[in-house]
Amino acid sequence: MKRVIFFLWASLLNVPFLWGQEKEKAIEVFPSTPYYQYIVYENLVIFWAAIIGLLIIIRMKLKEIERVQKLGLEDEENMASHK
Amino acid sequence: MNCPRLKDWFGERYETAALKKFARGKVLPTHRYDLWYYTGGIILFLFALQFITGMLLALYYVPHAEFAHKSIIEIVTKLNMGWFFRSLHHWGAQLAILALFVHLFASLLLKSYRKPRELLWYSGFVLIGIAIFFGLSGYLLLWDERAFAAVRVATGGAGALPILGGFIKAFLRGGIDVTGETLTRFYAFHVAILPLMTILLMVLHVLLVQVHGMSVPLSLKDKTLPQEPFFPNVVYKDLAVWLVLLGIVVTLATLLPPEIGRKADPLAAPPEDIKPEWYFLFLFQTLKLFPGDIFGLNGETIAILLISLGILGLFILPLLDKKSSRGERSPLFTAIGICYLAYFLVMTLIGYLS
Amino acid sequence: MKLDYSLVTRRTFLNTLFGGWLLAFLAGSFLALFRFAFPTLGKEPDFVVLKPEDYDNIPVNSTKPFAWGGKLGLFFRKDEHTLVALKGVCTHMECNIVYRPEERKFYCPCHKGWFDENGKNIKGPPPKPLEFFDYYVEGEKLIVARKGVKVELPKA
Repeated sequence: MKRVIFFLWASLLNVPFLWGQEKEKAIEVFPSTPYYQYIVYENLVIFWAAIIGLLIIIRMKLKEIERVQKLGLEDEENMASHK
Repeated sequence: MNCPRLKDWFGERYETAALKKFARGKVLPTHRYDLWYYTGGIILFLFALQFITGMLLALYYVPHAEFAHKSIIEIVTKLNMGWFFRSLHHWGAQLAILALFVHLFASLLLKSYRKPRELLWYSGFVLIGIAIFFGLSGYLLLWDERAFAAVRVATGGAGALPILGGFIKAFLRGGIDVTGETLTRFYAFHVAILPLMTILLMVLHVLLVQVHGMSVPLSLKDKTLPQEPFFPNVVYKDLAVWLVLLGIVVTLATLLPPEIGRKADPLAAPPEDIKPEWYFLFLFQTLKLFPGDIFGLNGETIAILLISLGILGLFILPLLDKKSSRGERSPLFTAIGICYLAYFLVMTLIGYLS
Repeated sequence: MKLDYSLVTRRTFLNTLFGGWLLAFLAGSFLALFRFAFPTLGKEPDFVVLKPEDYDNIPVNSTKPFAWGGKLGLFFRKDEHTLVALKGVCTHMECNIVYRPEERKFYCPCHKGWFDENGKNIKGPPPKPLEFFDYYVEGEKLIVARKGVKVELPKA
């Protein structure tokens, strides 16, 4: 149950990202007007924000994996089964 | 990210023990040059991107001389984010070829081609040839003035090869001159023939990498280097690199979308100051170096012959570099590699600036 | 407020965060892809603009086709004083219909459906009558419009 809540919370974090994506519907033509250009740039910023977020999370994961690997295999199994 | 239930499902039906053992045992050495190991994965990712964007564009592109140009304009102006996906395909191609050259010269200078990895070098060489033909065939599909003239010159240049030249030129062009037949042919290459060849060769290439493991530069041969497991460490690092790369391609595609020239007219004069795509520039500059006539022989033919010899020499480098195949340092071939790289860079630069 | 124990392990937290974020990222990217792959082109128009001269001399008890977006439209001269415009598409499975002047009926060859000269479905599978359009001439243009649609011509 807790996992479900956690997953939902983590997914909710991405609502702004998904919502930002919806705006791309407006781009039908090669952006010529400032209005559409703004939407394109905004989406680009959101895109990069998502990528950087992912990079941060990957770094967190890597740090954790390396930490556990340094400890040795037995401890890794012990820690995983703690939940 | 573990999915034990999924693994069990497979384990109950297939012999996964060997695969698991291989996956757990796959390691990469860490050393000061290990960043170059990522160049291969970068190419894989960029090609996957090209396949996806290419398939999307193929849904709307019409490969007929009469409609090709118009269909691209339709894609770019009328479809949802059409301009973006075309731009993405364009920049993905540029970066893929750039990554290919980086990978080529890295393997050359780090001497990964030496024994026992010669097949990797040969298959990789063929792959780069395929990729360049991908670039050329894709470029013509635009069917605008620039593309038309560029392909005319490129296929004409291929025709200057002695003996084989005529056949190659006719085969590529689908006739005597660049026509709608050429477009049909190049489309067949670009969306069917080349992708299939690429997939087959890439599977071979990647499989060989799994068999051989990663090559370590000769200078570090005797050191015991710390090993990093591929699953999951390097997978995450690969993913991080690919994400940054995706960001770069998307940014370039958004901020610098490529233009389309006027529709090609086979009877019109080529546009002013026409230049081929940047990855052909070094060949072009080389051609320009040679005068039209050398001691009564056709200068262009001699130039093409020399270029062919140079490329052939690069291809059979593992055969020539005996020292590195014995595991000894081979400074002569390092120098040769640097010469190749320098020539490529300088000629490309001159071609670009002139 | 410091908890005595963690609600989840580091592993679960990181994996969920990573998985969730990656999923959202990929979903967003593929959404963009699908928007491109599934076009919204080819919708039926609300009205079309034709040249009046083309439809002046349709013989009595016959039809003349016109383009309704990508579909078939028919001008039908019922009798000397009546000219109607209708969509020449069967209401069953959207095959094109033909006019049979001998019988004064419209016929759909796909499943042998019949409509009378007023478009009412009289035999076979078609569930609804044919759709009729309004039309009028404005200056040099013949405008055929869906019933009830307000036509606004572009300035071009």
